[in-house]
Amino acid sequence: MDNSGKEKEASALMAEAEKKLKSSQSFFGALFGGSSKVEEACDMYARAANMYKMAKNWSAAGNAFCQAARLHLQVQSKHDAATNFIDAGNAFKKADPQEAINCLNRAIEIYTDMGRFTIAAKHHISIAEIFETELVDIDKAIAHYEQAADYYKGEESTSSANKCLLKVATYAAQLEQYQKAIEIYEQVGTNAMDSTLLKYSAKDYFFKATLCHFCVDMLNAKLALQKYEEMFPAFSDSRECKLVKKLLDAYEEQNVEAYTDAVKEYDTISRLDQWLTTMLLRIKKTIQDDESDLR
Amino acid sequence: MQCNTYGKMAYPKTHNPFADDDEEEPQPRSRVGFDDRQEQGMTEADRKQRYLKQEVMRTANSAVESSQRSLALIYESEKMGTETAEELMRQGEALKRTEKMVDNMDQDLKTSQKHINSIKSVWGGLVSYFKAKPETTKMPEEPVAYQASSKLQNALSHSKEHEDKYQASHPNLRKLDTGGFGATASVDKKSSSQNGYPANEHLRAAHQRLDNNLDEMSLGLSRLKNLGMGLQSEIEDQDASLDNLLGKVDKMDLKINKTNEQLKKL
Repeated sequence: MDNSGKEKEASALMAEAEKKLKSSQSFFGALFGGSSKVEEACDMYARAANMYKMAKNWSAAGNAFCQAARLHLQVQSKHDAATNFIDAGNAFKKADPQEAINCLNRAIEIYTDMGRFTIAAKHHISIAEIFETELVDIDKAIAHYEQAADYYKGEESTSSANKCLLKVATYAAQLEQYQKAIEIYEQVGTNAMDSTLLKYSAKDYFFKATLCHFCVDMLNAKLALQKYEEMFPAFSDSRECKLVKKLLDAYEEQNVEAYTDAVKEYDTISRLDQWLTTMLLRIKKTIQDDESDLR
Repeated sequence: MQCNTYGKMAYPKTHNPFADDDEEEPQPRSRVGFDDRQEQGMTEADRKQRYLKQEVMRTANSAVESSQRSLALIYESEKMGTETAEELMRQGEALKRTEKMVDNMDQDLKTSQKHINSIKSVWGGLVSYFKAKPETTKMPEEPVAYQASSKLQNALSHSKEHEDKYQASHPNLRKLDTGGFGATASVDKKSSSQNGYPANEHLRAAHQRLDNNLDEMSLGLSRLKNLGMGLQSEIEDQDASLDNLLGKVDKMDLKINKTNEQLKKL
């Protein structure tokens, strides 16, 4: 793999492309088909960027793609510009996440301008993922997921919208924005229980909503549980519902051991994931705090 | 589950002193033992009985544990099934969107063909001017929300009916009568073995748990079956959609090529 050779080729191409650009801006160039020169320059930038990718020089590749995109904007070919910005974003993802986000944002602007909301939503999700993993900024991730969900809803893709909304709810609950999480879980749950295929996951959403209610206040949780059982009878048969009832009882009696036992029993059959464990621990802490208050 | 151990439990030690004599226990008691059964609780027979009881408990416990494990696996499969279902729904929506876009592209190609015709020749242009505007193909009224196949509803109600009938008819599915162990309890009391009664309580509890787990397993399995059937019908629908889409895209491809060539000739 002569990757270093590719890099040299790539740099050579970049230099050529710049020369072409300059020449197209001169008087004669503009006269004799400046636009075709610009397009050729775009092509060369793109080719150079691909070669940088082969040589794994991600930031140079990203830069080259950005250049190509800007040129495309000049000649008003928005589609190509947006695609190049996306390529730049992907290349930067591996090197400089901040730059990647900038490129992706610009691409999203172009797409929303053209009215292509579905694809804009998809890229909002990519940005949100970068915020989740590389630059850990949960608030911004939530904002982007919400934006993506709105776009998907606008395009009548409810399942994709629900997927984003669920992520928003998970993070919101972690950041203790329980009201938001509750609304989302209730909405998605009610939506799911009518569908033939999705109703198997409806109980999961109601369970999470009840837990969020519980974190706020126990009485809320009880009322919510009754409401969900009325709406969705199959929920009462599920193990999750039985677990919540046991937890409510343990809370009323301020009995931490009963609480832990119920949780352990549930865990033996279905492992609790990170989110559930965090929420249950929070609730348990409120029991223990109340106990110490009474003393 | 080993039924023979239960058999031994129901009919405990054969009071055959001569058979126990063959035991190689290096304890002095055993040789003197069977005549003084009343005095020493640890005779051969008693020890064997205790050993058998332990075996029974062990088997029952391992049965309960294995049913717990199966239950866990069933719930895990259900979780995976629901996640698959959600992905399938999303995919179905994407397919519908793609089909709509392909139809749009078709429309656009038709208009561009008209334009090309008018460019190619003045006569062609006049003809197309007078020709009535091609009817924009009526978009079939799409249900706003993506409807998964409704065959599942029928399957669901059917299987619920059958499940009830099946449970009533199948002898094994009726609740096992654990009262039978009452008999052994009385026998054990007669034999004055200390740990007979508690072992039975545990055994009964273990069997109760086992029954509960088995019930839950059967419910879970029926849910899984329905989920599977729902997934199958959804996949079949999407398969048909895909084939449809493939055909449309192929036709589109030909049209685009044709248009390109016409444009080149202009």
